Amino acid sequence: MRKSNGHSFTWKTFTESRLFLPLIALSLILLFDLIFIPGFFSIENRDGNLHGSLIDIFRNGSTVMLLAIGMTLVIATGGIDLSVGAVMAIAASVAGILMNPSALKNEVFFVTDPNYTFQPLWLVIISALFVAILCGLWNGVLVAYVRIQPMVATLILMIAGRGIAQLITNGLRVQITYKLFTFLGQGWIILPFSLYIVAIMFVFTWLMTRKTAIGMFIESVGINFRSSFYSGIDEKKIKLMVYAFCGFCAGIAGLVASSNIKTSDANNIGLTTELDAILAVVIGGTAMAGGRFSLLASMVGALVMQAITQSMYAIGVPAFALQAIKAVVVVFVILLYSEQFRSFIRKFSAPKTEAKP
Amino acid sequence: MMQQISKFLSKNRKLIPLWSTALLALAAYGIGAYFFVGMRNPQVFFNLFRNSSYLLISAIGMTLVILTGGIDLSVSGVVALTTVSTAVLLREGLNPWGVILLMLAMGMTMGGIMGSFITYLKVQPFIATLAGMWFARGMCFFISDNAVTIDNRIFQILGKTKILIPGLTEIAIKQGNPPPYVSIPVVVGFTLFVVTIFIAHYTRFGRTVYAIGGNEGRNEQSARLMGLPVNRTKMLVYTFNGFCSALAGLALSLFVFSGHGLYASGFELDVIASVVMGGTMLTGGSGYVFGTFFGVMVLAVTQALIQFIGSLSSWWTKIVIGVLTLIFIGVQTVLANRKVGRQAAQSPEVLRAVRRKRLWQGIGVGAVFVLVLASIIIISQFRAASIDGSTENTQCDVKPFRESEAAGLIQDGAVIVYHRTAGPQCVDELFAIYPDGRVTGTDGVNKVEKQVTPAEVEHLLTVISVDHKWFTADIYSTYLTPCRQCFAHNISISYDAQEKSATGVDGTTAMPPGYAFALAEIRPLLPVINPTP
Repeated sequence: MRKSNGHSFTWKTFTESRLFLPLIALSLILLFDLIFIPGFFSIENRDGNLHGSLIDIFRNGSTVMLLAIGMTLVIATGGIDLSVGAVMAIAASVAGILMNPSALKNEVFFVTDPNYTFQPLWLVIISALFVAILCGLWNGVLVAYVRIQPMVATLILMIAGRGIAQLITNGLRVQITYKLFTFLGQGWIILPFSLYIVAIMFVFTWLMTRKTAIGMFIESVGINFRSSFYSGIDEKKIKLMVYAFCGFCAGIAGLVASSNIKTSDANNIGLTTELDAILAVVIGGTAMAGGRFSLLASMVGALVMQAITQSMYAIGVPAFALQAIKAVVVVFVILLYSEQFRSFIRKFSAPKTEAKP
Repeated sequence: MMQQISKFLSKNRKLIPLWSTALLALAAYGIGAYFFVGMRNPQVFFNLFRNSSYLLISAIGMTLVILTGGIDLSVSGVVALTTVSTAVLLREGLNPWGVILLMLAMGMTMGGIMGSFITYLKVQPFIATLAGMWFARGMCFFISDNAVTIDNRIFQILGKTKILIPGLTEIAIKQGNPPPYVSIPVVVGFTLFVVTIFIAHYTRFGRTVYAIGGNEGRNEQSARLMGLPVNRTKMLVYTFNGFCSALAGLALSLFVFSGHGLYASGFELDVIASVVMGGTMLTGGSGYVFGTFFGVMVLAVTQALIQFIGSLSSWWTKIVIGVLTLIFIGVQTVLANRKVGRQAAQSPEVLRAVRRKRLWQGIGVGAVFVLVLASIIIISQFRAASIDGSTENTQCDVKPFRESEAAGLIQDGAVIVYHRTAGPQCVDELFAIYPDGRVTGTDGVNKVEKQVTPAEVEHLLTVISVDHKWFTADIYSTYLTPCRQCFAHNISISYDAQEKSATGVDGTTAMPPGYAFALAEIRPLLPVINPTP
């Protein structure tokens, strides 16, 4: 009896950990792949670079992972940012038009020279990210200072953002061939280059939130913004900063996405990725109401989403039908996290530990 | 004076957004009618209802959902799923009335399932309905990858029946215009509208809906404590919205006569925007079903205006709607904050000062937005005008169709003669397709020729005459002055000893669908006369 109690204690610390459910989900999917898709785990070495389905999960998941970093912080403050997909499109359009301004003259100009660019790369990246941060600040002002519901405030940019992106590119798709820029999404240094961007962003954010007080401020704002205000935290500035940071992450994701397809396509870049990002955070166990968050769990959540996509493609499910499967997964995850289900599990698994305290 | 205004504002807090939306819709239509002669045509006015009947139906359901403080993002998915399943079931030969009932049941089931997730499992409405949308869209592609056309007789009758407006018919005939009409979905939409107004304002269920919404979910708790049937009401509201979505899907399939999984993408945003513009608070608990109608009208007039202006691309609709939504949400927030200010226990002077400050802030923010919007439009107009002035003229004088020349070509043995004018480059091109596969084209200056196989020509003729029913009453001539990017077409076809020619103009909803399909079939065979550099 005692033995089993001790056992259930360690088991409990593990199950209560935030990483538990996402990791279980990821390993279930990978197990499924191991059994049903031959060669899913094979990694080949081409000119010193590693290629394979497993690497592709990371590479294709990099945009969602970048978005999930910003989204985790926003959701931790009790908000939500629906506009990240539109901000991705805006950043990509700014970058595209600065490298190939032919669309402004109302013509689609197919540049073939891989060294052609209108503006230097540093200016392109800085101005795209600057515009993305501006979009984030706009959301932040609406949420923190005008006090509009986060969902509604960001919905506005979600509706208007794609129009703005098309305004920038004059409604045309802009071809990008500049080699250095395409390296962002398509380059490899042993591993895909976009993974290094994700890693840098992750480490930076992790240090900012866990080694300084900012992380705690964000959590306290999420749990109760009024009491954090009375305990001396400038909750408005925290919210503003978090939304601006989310815009910044969306900007980087937009650059990676556009360099991946060598086009800045205002209509399709980042379409419905906001949903993937939110879902990644939800799978990571951050409550939609705000409060405690875990960046690492959100990363694993993003990988879960991408792994599902990748394995469904490998089985041969058509891209559009994939959404139905994603929806079923979402429902499953929602059920797992719902209070009703948890209390049911608690009742079922440990009736005695509850009586003790 | 100031006090009176502020008293008036406080009293009519809920009505101000509603009436300003109504005024906006009327003003926009008035301005459009002032500048564009075409917009004064009564049929154009009634087309506003015809084109937005499914938006109205869906927005009515969404209003109730938003009044309870929830949201339903699944409407676009359910609409698309309804069009696809309707089309496929009709193709399989099911009874059309049965299909309609089945679709409504399906919508209600979807809504009910999402409602139970939201009500009993306490899932956020946003997440649950998002999953619903993905599920519905995904299922569309499990059912059919391609667009499926609907050619069921009853559906054609339902969609094409013209309901004349009593009183206007005689006037129109006197003036020599065709009598204006609306379609059956419009009538269904208005019936639903009236019924929902009754339900929302004059029944116990409606009062409960209002009681649940608002105040960040605290009102829901108090409604529960008062003993109102909160769970049952929420379930019913989501089920009703599922019903409305399915009905909107049926209206859409009566409008386009086909079904596809990509239809109505982004539709949920339009629906939410029109509900918000109608004066319903997104936090719930405040608003009128009546206002939603004006929200839908603002959307419809915006789209019509942008179509009529012609030089603005369709994505301007998105920007305008986004900005309008923002303004309305801003106004609502300011007005709602006034209420909070009134309730706070402060001395009247301080209160008045705060109110005045808020009012001025609100006016200032509103003015800035209007200015920004106006300047964007003016700048873009100037830019467009300056570019056009140097390179090409803004509006071409449309050349008349050379009908005698076309008849001559038919006499010479051509089976299809296609003449198009206007368009971005102001063309005047005449193409002729001969049964031996020879395709000629001329614009009066240059002549080009192209050779296709005789089988292709034969296939083209069969498709146009059999599939698109060229020689039936389904194809008729329509003409409007073409917009700046639009072509005007005149197709003459001679096949199986039958001969018929019809005209049409791009960018109008008046063009019969078969005409557009025929154009799409002919276009790939044509040679290019003036290759663009």
